[in-house]
This record gives sequence, C-alpha cells and structure tokens, in this order.
Amino acid sequence: MNLEPNMKQVVIRRTVRSDAENFLAPLTAEMDRTGRFPKEWRSFVAAKQYFGLEIPKDLGGAGLDAVSACIVIEEVSRVSPAMGLCISVHNGVALYPLHIYGDDYQKENFIRPMAAGDSIGTFCLTEPNAGSDASALETTALWDGSNYVLNGTKIFVTNGGVSGVNLIFSGIVSESGKKSFTLFIVESERKGLEKGRPEELMGMRGNPVCSISLNDCIVPSENRLGGEGQGMSIAISTLHGGRIGIGAQAVGIAQGCLDASILYAKQRIQFGRSISEQGAIQGMLADMAAKTEAARLLVYRAASLREKGLDHGKQSAMAKLLASEAAVEAARLGLQIHGGYGYTKAYPIERFYRDAKVCEIYEGTSEVQRMVISRALLK
Amino acid sequence: MNRGSCLVWVFGDYGDYFQNRVTLQLIAKGKSLAAELDTRLGVVVLGEDIGQYVMEYAAHGADVIYAADHHALKDYDVELFTAVVASWVGIYRPEIFLAGATVFGREFFPRLAKRLQTGLSADCVALEIDKESGAFVQTTPAFGGDLLADVITPQHRPQMATVHPGTFRELSHDPFAIAELIYPPVPELPPRKIEVIRRRQERAHKASLKDAKVVIVGGKGMGSKANFEKLFQLAEILDGEVGATRPAVDAGWIGEERLLGQTGKSVRPRLLITIGTSGALQYTSGIQGSETVIAVNRDPSAPIFSVADLGIVGDADRIVSLLIEELNRRL
Amino acid sequence: MHIAICIKQVPDIAAVRIDRERMTVVREGVQNIINPSDYQALSLAMALKSKIGGTVTVITMGPPQSEEALREALAAGADRGILLTDHAFAGADTLATSHVLSKAISRLDPAPSIIFCGNNTIDSDTGHVGPQVAEELGIAQVCGILDVQAESEQTLLAKRMGERYIETIRVGCPVLFTVRKEGGTAILPGLGSLQRAFSAGSIISWDKEELGLSDDETGLAGSATRVWRLRATPLKIKGDIITGQAQELVQAILRKLESMSLVDEDQRHE
Repeated sequence: MNLEPNMKQVVIRRTVRSDAENFLAPLTAEMDRTGRFPKEWRSFVAAKQYFGLEIPKDLGGAGLDAVSACIVIEEVSRVSPAMGLCISVHNGVALYPLHIYGDDYQKENFIRPMAAGDSIGTFCLTEPNAGSDASALETTALWDGSNYVLNGTKIFVTNGGVSGVNLIFSGIVSESGKKSFTLFIVESERKGLEKGRPEELMGMRGNPVCSISLNDCIVPSENRLGGEGQGMSIAISTLHGGRIGIGAQAVGIAQGCLDASILYAKQRIQFGRSISEQGAIQGMLADMAAKTEAARLLVYRAASLREKGLDHGKQSAMAKLLASEAAVEAARLGLQIHGGYGYTKAYPIERFYRDAKVCEIYEGTSEVQRMVISRALLK
Repeated sequence: MNRGSCLVWVFGDYGDYFQNRVTLQLIAKGKSLAAELDTRLGVVVLGEDIGQYVMEYAAHGADVIYAADHHALKDYDVELFTAVVASWVGIYRPEIFLAGATVFGREFFPRLAKRLQTGLSADCVALEIDKESGAFVQTTPAFGGDLLADVITPQHRPQMATVHPGTFRELSHDPFAIAELIYPPVPELPPRKIEVIRRRQERAHKASLKDAKVVIVGGKGMGSKANFEKLFQLAEILDGEVGATRPAVDAGWIGEERLLGQTGKSVRPRLLITIGTSGALQYTSGIQGSETVIAVNRDPSAPIFSVADLGIVGDADRIVSLLIEELNRRL
Repeated sequence: MHIAICIKQVPDIAAVRIDRERMTVVREGVQNIINPSDYQALSLAMALKSKIGGTVTVITMGPPQSEEALREALAAGADRGILLTDHAFAGADTLATSHVLSKAISRLDPAPSIIFCGNNTIDSDTGHVGPQVAEELGIAQVCGILDVQAESEQTLLAKRMGERYIETIRVGCPVLFTVRKEGGTAILPGLGSLQRAFSAGSIISWDKEELGLSDDETGLAGSATRVWRLRATPLKIKGDIITGQAQELVQAILRKLESMSLVDEDQRHE
C-alpha cells in the first residue's frame, strides 16, 4: 500500500497552491462581502484546465487521475471554499456523468465547452419538497411525441447563476402510472428555463447558488442523458463521486483553518510571549492537524478506489462525513485560537467558520452519509 | 612589514565608483588582513583617466595601486577586465583578492575566479585569519541568512571573496597618504562582444512592500496625515516602500494594505526606518526579520529602541523633514 | 535556434527552519522547488522560443529526485530535460558545478546559441554558476537581465539592471544570460501540461562516465572551497540610542545609510 503522493501530485499541489494564493486569495474577501462570482479568476483557471480535471486531453481536459483532481479541489478550497465548491460541483457531478454516460454527440457538444471553462455545469436534484429524499421529486418530463416537456422547480443549485449546462433530474410517469427517473441536459438559454435570484447564503458566498425553474421547457431526446428510468442509478453513482469532491473541499477548508491558525498563533503575543507556546493552543492545533490528515487519507482512499473502478459508495460516504466534520471542527477551534480577532472580518477564519458548515449539509447531509454507511454495514 | 610583498588585493569597483563605499570599506579590512599576514594591501584600478580614483584609494589607505589607464578599458566589459586582471594575478600572485558584492562585483569575480581556477565565496559578512590554523575564513550567509557558513580555500590561490556592502568601516580620508603606483603590462585584449546601447537612470522594478529592500514605517507619532505623507518622499529617495502601524492606519492616514505587524504584513528589508512608533509587540513581530533598524521616537524609553540598531531620540516630523532636505541636497 | 537553460531544484527557503540548539536545518515539510530566478529564466526562454522558434533544453545537476524540476520545466514548455546525476557530483562548489554543467552543454548538438541561468539561487545565493559556465565555454555573458528580445537572427537586445540604472545591451550569439527573479511573474503551467510532462515527457540522464569526467574534477574533490563550519547567525546586538540637535541626529542617520551604501557620501568635503 502506498500512501505517499507521487511526484506529479506533489507538483500539482504546489502549482495550484501558488495559483490560488497569488490569483484567488486577493479576490476572496470581496467575493464574500458582495457575493460576486470572480470572472477574472474563472478565465484564469479555465486556461489552466481546472474545469476539466479528469476529462481526457482529446476532449480538452487535463486528464488527471482522481486523487490529483482531489488535490486541486483541496488547494482551491484552502484559499476560497466558494470557488472550490464551483470546481468540485462542475467536475464531480456535472462533467462526470456526462463523461461516463454521455453519447458521442453529448460529449462533443457539452463536455468540450465545459472542459474549456466556457460553460459551467450544475447538477439539479433538490426541490422545495425533496432534499435528502430524492424519491419525493416533483419535476416531471412528458414525451409529446417528438420532444420532452419539462416542468418543475429545482432549488439550491450550486453554480446556478453562472451555469451554461444543467443536469435536471426529473420523473417520467408511464402510462401505467409508475414513476421512473431520468436525467436531462438542459442548456441555460433554452426557452422555458428560468433562474431565480442568487440566494443570500451564510457562507460559500460568491458561488451563485439559485433556483432553476422549468416551465414547459422543451428538450429534444438527444439531450436525455442515459436511458429513460436510468436517472436514479446515474444519480447515485454521480453522488458517490461528488461526495469525494466535497470531501476534498472539506479537507481544503480544514487545512486553510489550520494554516491560518498556526500563522496567527505564532504571531499573537500575550503575556509577553507567543500564544503558540501555550499548551491549550498547541492542543487545539494538534487536534485540527490530526483530524485534517485523517480526513485527507479517507478522501484519497475513496478517490483511488474510484480511479481503479472499484466500489466506493461506503468509502466516499465515510470520507465526506469525516472530512466535513473535520472542517467544521477546524473552523471552530481555529476561531477559538484567534479569539476576539477571529470574530471580526479582519481574518479569514470567520469566513471559514461560515463556509465550513454547509459541508455537513450538501451532497447528502451527515445523517444521510451515516445512513449510506450503515446500510452497507448491515446489508 | 615585508615591504616587498603585496599579497592582499582589493578590486576598485568600477561601475559604482563613489556611489558605493564598499571598495573603501574593503581597503580598510584588507589593510588589517595584510598587516596580520605581514604584507601590503593593493588596489586594482582599470579605466581611463583614473587619476582621481587612484588618489581616492590612496587617501583611504591603499599601499599599492595596480592601474591600467587605457582607452580600451574606459567602459567596463567583463571579458576585457577578466583578461587584464587574470594576467596581473599571474604576475603578482596575491594570496587574497576581494571585491564588493555589488551587481558588478558579482558578475565579474565569478568569471575571474573560474579563469584562475580558484575558489570564490559570495557576499561575505565577515573575513578573518584564523589564529590557530592561519586559514583565511570567509563567512557567508546560508539558508536565507539564518545560518552562517565559514568557508575556506585550502589549496587554491588567490582566495577570493565578494563582500556585502556595509560590512566594514572605511578608514578616514587622509589626503597626504602615499601609495606606490604600478602600471603592470596590459595583455592583448579580446574583442568586445557586448555593446551598451542605452542606459537609463532609473529602476525598472518597484519592489512591493514585502520585497522592498528599504521600508519606512510611520506611526501615530508622525502627528498628522500631511506629516505622514512625507514618508513617501523619503521612501522615493531611498528607493523603498512605506509601511504603517495600526494607530496610523486607524487614524486614516494610510490604507490597511500598508499595515505591518500581527494583523498586517511581515517585512524583512535590509533597512527599516521606523518613525514615531512606540514599538508595541503587535507591530515589532512584523519587522523582526529586518537586517538593520533605525528608530526615531521622542520618548527615550520607548520599547522600539530595544529592537533598533540606531535609536534617534527626536521629533519625528522634524527629523523626517531634515533628512529629506539633506538627501535631496546630495542627489 | 537551440536554447539551453540551467536550473536547480532548491528547498523553499521560506519554509526552512534552523534548530539553533542542535545547529541543524529542519527540512521537514519543506518542498523542493525550481529556484525562482531559474524559473524566470525558463519563462524568458519560452517567450523567446515563441517568437523565433527553436528548441529548449533544460539541464539540471542534482540528486535523482531533481527529475521533478525537469518535468516541471517540460510542463512549462521545454522540449527535453537532461539530468546530471552521480554520487561523485555531491558537495560541489561553484567551480566544480560550473565544470559539470559546461561539459554537459558542450555535448549538446547543435551547440546552443543562447544559454540561460537564474541570477542566483535562494539556498546558496552565490550567483557564480552562470558567469563561470560562460567562462568555461568561452562565450559572452550578460548578468542580471530582466528581459531579452531577438533583434536579428544572431543578435539579441537584453535589458539589464545595474546598481542604479537599466541598460539595454546588444550582444551576439553564443551568449549566456543570467536572469533576475524580478523580471515578471512567472506563469505556472496548466494541469494538462503537468499531467503530460509527468506521464510522457522525456528525460535523459547523464552521469560522470557519460560526461567523460574524472573523480578529481567533480564534487567535493573538484571544489576549491570547503565549508569549514556552519553556525547560527548571532542574534542581533542592539545599537546606540542617541540624543542631540536634530541636525546632528540626521547626520547620524546619514552615516548609517552611507555605511550601508544606500546613499552616496557627501561630495562636499567639509
């Protein structure tokens, strides 16, 4: 068993960290304050292929392995969780199913512009009355003889405000009255698709999360991803991968909290010496570091299982569960280390504290992850 | 003293005559090394119409001056200079040869050392003859200055070093001092391959606060926004950048982006001049990497003086104004 | 046009700590990076290549893991990497290092018209290797450049930073340039380039025999200098606090600035 990153992965981490610190860090505070999605960063990383992490070169992607893709998401999230989220969702739950389940037409027409960063992707599952329980979905697709007609409303769509390609999870009711689920690729400019205003979020600000509603939206059959009724299995396999991405994001947040706290603890002088010399602070830093590292290894394990094509549902749920808890814990301890200054916007820890929380909620709440894990244990 | 020998040499810095005191500093140090080795100190001067430099070096303590006053050597060229000086080293065989670690010294001396197939240590901060072994110990900073490496050149001669400017103190100017002036033969010169087609008296690169070699920091003691702004003039003259303490930022005299210390940036310039700052730990933690600190404060008990290499007890604004005036006069 | 670049993989100095009690360098968690001014040299070489064409060969001397630096250079657009690695190369000073590099460069076919080096490394910071390679190869050198443009087929215009001025220099090939880090912000390669450089890029490895070098020409044996001892930089001893007339105080500051060569000495001899 080899748990060490290889030469390429070391260099990828260093390169992305440098890019994030030099080009993204200066934008983060404003992004958080105004909720503005930084276009200048988008074009910068598009050129560097952050929008096509695991997509092969012939479709315009970087062709990375799954662990390297996690490292990229981690390092972007270490500086800006909101941009890490954008990249994670775009790659993990929008591009991934298109690449695995898409036909040649779909790959050429949707993957290529997405991998180039010209078009950002979303995965639209959650509805006002269906969150963790996906079977309660109300969005419908009706076949009118030549096209599908979609109706329904999706909420909390990550990347929604800037998306070009949206994967819409919807139900098809057969003549016998049986409901099956199907995924559709719906372009943002398609008539009948309407975006709501970006949500005023507690954290992850700058990622334009919004609702997407479909009102008699006519979608041709070549935009159906996979077969009719294949939606649930595509969604489940997509979410397994998506959870690894969110796990990587949470690890990045935890690392960002740790790095900020080490820096602060060394600089902050109280009682005539650096607070890093105090046992209580040292203990908090040690806990943060240990939990971050444990979560990181779980995430990489899940990613490498997926890379090898092995079953990784339980592993990705474990990774996502522990990584998001590590992020929330690291933000909490990190803010405590910062004391009063941590409660101000002068330091990034306050933002991390708000950003971290949602990791325990989206892509399946911690409760859902426990359910997935326990089902695998008890089956 | 062995009147015959002259085995410690200093190169008279060409591109930076009189803009740079390092040659004079090296003459002083070289002279004391020469005394320990019972020999004399020589200075090498190349150029055209170099009389004034010869006088200057003699006045500052050179025992011997090896000069070439030659039209072809009017402008510095690394290959021409290497050819001349290497041939002279072959004739006189000095034991020690020093140059300032200036832009010039650091491009010329490596080439010369290679031609002579000898060792060279870079940017030394101390030079001494080890009492026990007699070795010429060249101390050079390593790992970004956190470590010092004591380097020796056991077999090869001359033992060459470039020296950090400001390391040694020059001798006082003695207009009546006399040096032996030698014009060694100038060898056949190689062709010039490099042509300087333009020279501009300005800096291409404006260092950011974090990379600046000189940082001027103002605190609440500057008294007013108008006074604080004079720091920019001072920084301009010294080719530095301006930083500020929390009270100056809070007073609205300057933006947050120039804040130094715990809640701001950390800097490690060659020189930091801190003016009207009391020296709170929140601030000084951000400047502790500075090589040299000059502090100006009205209060002689201000804690800032405990981190200063030079403490000036005086009125911040008055000192700044006078300093700008004096520096402008010299430009 | 064949362009060669010498690079060095160095520890990221900002992250290195010194254990003052044990007098050791703490390298745990410290990454090795391409020396920043070498990377800038690589950027200038790539810019030149994009204008005038040609191939770019990157050379490094170091332990086997220096391959990482060569692959990063391939990702940045270099055409091939040459790793000079041998136990016998260890402990070299700049005299011995420049000898091995020069030997390697003189084996390149066709001989490079332009050689780039970084101005100085962040670990040992001598700045010697560039000029010493130029000397051994017997070619022109221009040190401390910020930028270079092709003027014609065989001549280049380089912008060089002196102590207090910027010079524009015309020089013919072959020439060796050392490049300052301040020339610009180095553009790091994209992910796809990294992926390809680390999976497919080609690296050639040359050892002592391959270069036809004997033991006494390389490493410690081929070096003129020895590190006698390492010691911690003494903690700063603080200086004088002076009081007096403002005019005298200012003179004290000026003397300090003069001693640091930051200002000229007063030309009026009073």
